Amino acid sequence: MRATQERVAPKNTQALSKIVARCDRAGEKIRIAGGETLSGMGFPPERVDVTLVTAGLTGVAANERADLVIAARGGTPVQDIVTLLAAQGQFVPFDAPLPQYATLGGTLAAGWLGPRRHLYGRLRDYLLGSTIVLADGSIARAGGMVVKNVAGYDMSRLYVGSFGTLGVLTQANLKTIPLPPHGRLFLAPLPERTRERACTQLARLPIRPAAAFWIEGFHHTIDGDEGPEGRILALLEGSDALLERATLELRSALGRAGVPETRVVNAGAREAFERVVDAYVACLGERSVTYRVYPSAHESGARASSSSELARRFGLRSETIVDVMNGDVVLRVSDLDAHAFGAKIEAFDDALHDAQPRAQVVASKHPHRASLRVWGAPPAAIDQMRALKARFDPNRTLNPGCFVDGI
Amino acid sequence: MQQGVLQTAKASKVLRERLIDALGSDAVKTSPEDLAVYAFDAYTDGGIPSAVVLPRSTRDVSAIVKIARDCGEPIVARGAGTGLCGGAVPISGGVVLCFARMNCVLELDERNRRARVQPGLINLDLSRHVAASGLFYAPDPSSQQISTLGGNIATNAGGPHCLSYGTTVNHVLALEVVDASGEVFTTSIDDVGYDLTAALVGSEGTLGIVTSAWLRLVALPESVRVWLAAFDDIDSASEAVTAIIAAGILPTALEMMDAVITQAVEAAFHAGYPTKAAAVLLIENAGFEEDVEASEAAIHSIVMRHGARSWRGARDKAERDALWAGRKGAAGATGRIAPNYYTQDVCVPRSKLPPALRAVDAASRANGITVGNVFHAGDGNLHPLLMYDKRDRKQVAAVVETGNEILQAAIDLGGTISGEHGIGWEKREAMTRVYSTADLAAMGRVRDVFDPARILNPEKIFPSGARCPEVVPR
Repeated sequence: MRATQERVAPKNTQALSKIVARCDRAGEKIRIAGGETLSGMGFPPERVDVTLVTAGLTGVAANERADLVIAARGGTPVQDIVTLLAAQGQFVPFDAPLPQYATLGGTLAAGWLGPRRHLYGRLRDYLLGSTIVLADGSIARAGGMVVKNVAGYDMSRLYVGSFGTLGVLTQANLKTIPLPPHGRLFLAPLPERTRERACTQLARLPIRPAAAFWIEGFHHTIDGDEGPEGRILALLEGSDALLERATLELRSALGRAGVPETRVVNAGAREAFERVVDAYVACLGERSVTYRVYPSAHESGARASSSSELARRFGLRSETIVDVMNGDVVLRVSDLDAHAFGAKIEAFDDALHDAQPRAQVVASKHPHRASLRVWGAPPAAIDQMRALKARFDPNRTLNPGCFVDGI
Repeated sequence: MQQGVLQTAKASKVLRERLIDALGSDAVKTSPEDLAVYAFDAYTDGGIPSAVVLPRSTRDVSAIVKIARDCGEPIVARGAGTGLCGGAVPISGGVVLCFARMNCVLELDERNRRARVQPGLINLDLSRHVAASGLFYAPDPSSQQISTLGGNIATNAGGPHCLSYGTTVNHVLALEVVDASGEVFTTSIDDVGYDLTAALVGSEGTLGIVTSAWLRLVALPESVRVWLAAFDDIDSASEAVTAIIAAGILPTALEMMDAVITQAVEAAFHAGYPTKAAAVLLIENAGFEEDVEASEAAIHSIVMRHGARSWRGARDKAERDALWAGRKGAAGATGRIAPNYYTQDVCVPRSKLPPALRAVDAASRANGITVGNVFHAGDGNLHPLLMYDKRDRKQVAAVVETGNEILQAAIDLGGTISGEHGIGWEKREAMTRVYSTADLAAMGRVRDVFDPARILNPEKIFPSGARCPEVVPR
């Protein structure tokens, strides 16, 4: 272990490979840093000798517009890809928070799950091929640039969500899909008595919204609205003709649930949607922790209410975003005072996990993050996962200790 | 094709007795005539197994794996044996584990649109089972009337509708798996940690044996339309496909057939295909009425601009079904042309379809082989059917050469050696043509974790002689 930490930003895969190989030989530990937008996820690394910044690995390697395929380097900001694709009428549903900072490699490595996945599929299902630098410095490619490929194991999907513990993604090849021609965002106040029914109605719509959120807290102004008592935000995407029908159905469904007034957001609709996604990882310094509570047996609405109630019992303030279409709940608990927060959070973390074993920390600057159950309960196949890590990175060179169960 | 690999194996007395002890004699086949039935799948090479076992439960599978391992026998899982690359063939013997008796829908969760199934369930039977709930299972390989979901998972099977719905891996939510030591483990795409589900799907029985799976179901579309466009030459048809995709239109299915195929299909099924056209596109769009209608105008305009000589839509469900029956029965219909056919399966970037088809034509002409093209054009996934008579050694050699040239042409165009059929036994040596030693070593590490002794479907996927040496580029 060296006395001071080194920070390196290689400009290409070969250079990155040499650094990783050197560290692996020398027993030095690497922390991989993309845009740091999801740095609140996972355990802090056990040790860091070298911070490997991927910001030097940027740019589009191939833009096969007519094939609906794009390949970009791991450090490329997600927003760059989104903008480029939009200009050619295509998209990939990244829905990553802070996309101007988030990197392609980091978003994939974190296995980011966006709110539109129920309609367009998970990011993993867009990955056609990859280049990865493994812990010993070897460079392995998988898949390719074609939309169907069953030649060998699906290594690319295995790397998605591996949190940099199997290797460093230096390139990803993605399929794209046609950009929906139109989008329409709806905003409605959500008085307490209407909440459960509104969520149920939205989830049952025949033309499914691309995203629907029930938001409490996370105050920001949407088209002049502050949302003091909770609100619903629903995004419809598709052709003009389809949106006409979908609008009628959505208004009538929310009306049936007793929602007083549903209006179309005219100004800054896209930005308003993106701000909600940004809020998934928004942190209040050291006095907050944000969880993502994934569905197990209960309704998402009930899960949000019971988690908020739990926070109140521990004297913590709670804010929630319920992803109505996918069922996960973003829960930010905080206190006005960082010291008071520190005294409560560990006990709350225990209680939350007893009730919601699939709660994960997604944003936290809390100094004792390592003592929280940041990944929730370990998965059934944890032994196989440990064995994979041991086979890919026997010296624990890459992001040691950051992943599930301390992998 | 690798000729002459039929070896005979004999079940040791111990193996036979222990299997019967554990599962009963009804579940264990060891007579030569029974074993011969399981020597082949839909590929040409075979191998006689030491024993065939028909489990009824996960516990049975676990017991079989433990016994086979103790007796030093490899284990080859088998669905319906429709695989086209020898993936289910016990090349050098071993225990074949046949899932014919594990063919149930275990649970249907309508609200969450998912079903838990056993691996021996036939693909189409799942869609039939859930149709009353307004749901279906989207991946639809042409073999779906007979192929099993376990086999589909093992090969990450595709099908015409994967253009819009994605291949099998997009539809597998969770797996129960028996590992190489006979222990059971489970995976789910909702679990934290590594995506073992993705690693297992498409691993062709080399990482574990799937004993049940949660599969995603899809709501039956509100509107479905099917159109046929006929062309006077193949180039125009393939250019039309490329133009549709480049225009950002992704129909539900976009299939192409050449004259060799449409004539065979018409003779066999009277499905309503034009027999005088050089190529036909079968296009389906399904979804909401408004979108389907809009797409018809857009696709029609592109197709006509690329010189289609006719365009017609199926008038009703019966016509749609007839057209699809013709498409899905196309390979079988070629029995009228030659006694045998070999299906190549390659995938190229979609904009490279025209040169890929020209390469298929050049290779078959150069080798004097009749070729019929029927394939998933929208995905760039080609299936040239090479017609031959396997009794004629010269023809067999010519087919091997043609297949090989097509494979190389696809690689040269930036494509891959299998789009949906798998690598199996047939293409394992070709893996080195698309992957480096380091690429294969990474896959080998996954194999090391799940099957260190290489007893699960050995001789598949990985090239021979390669235990995937460590690659250290230092």
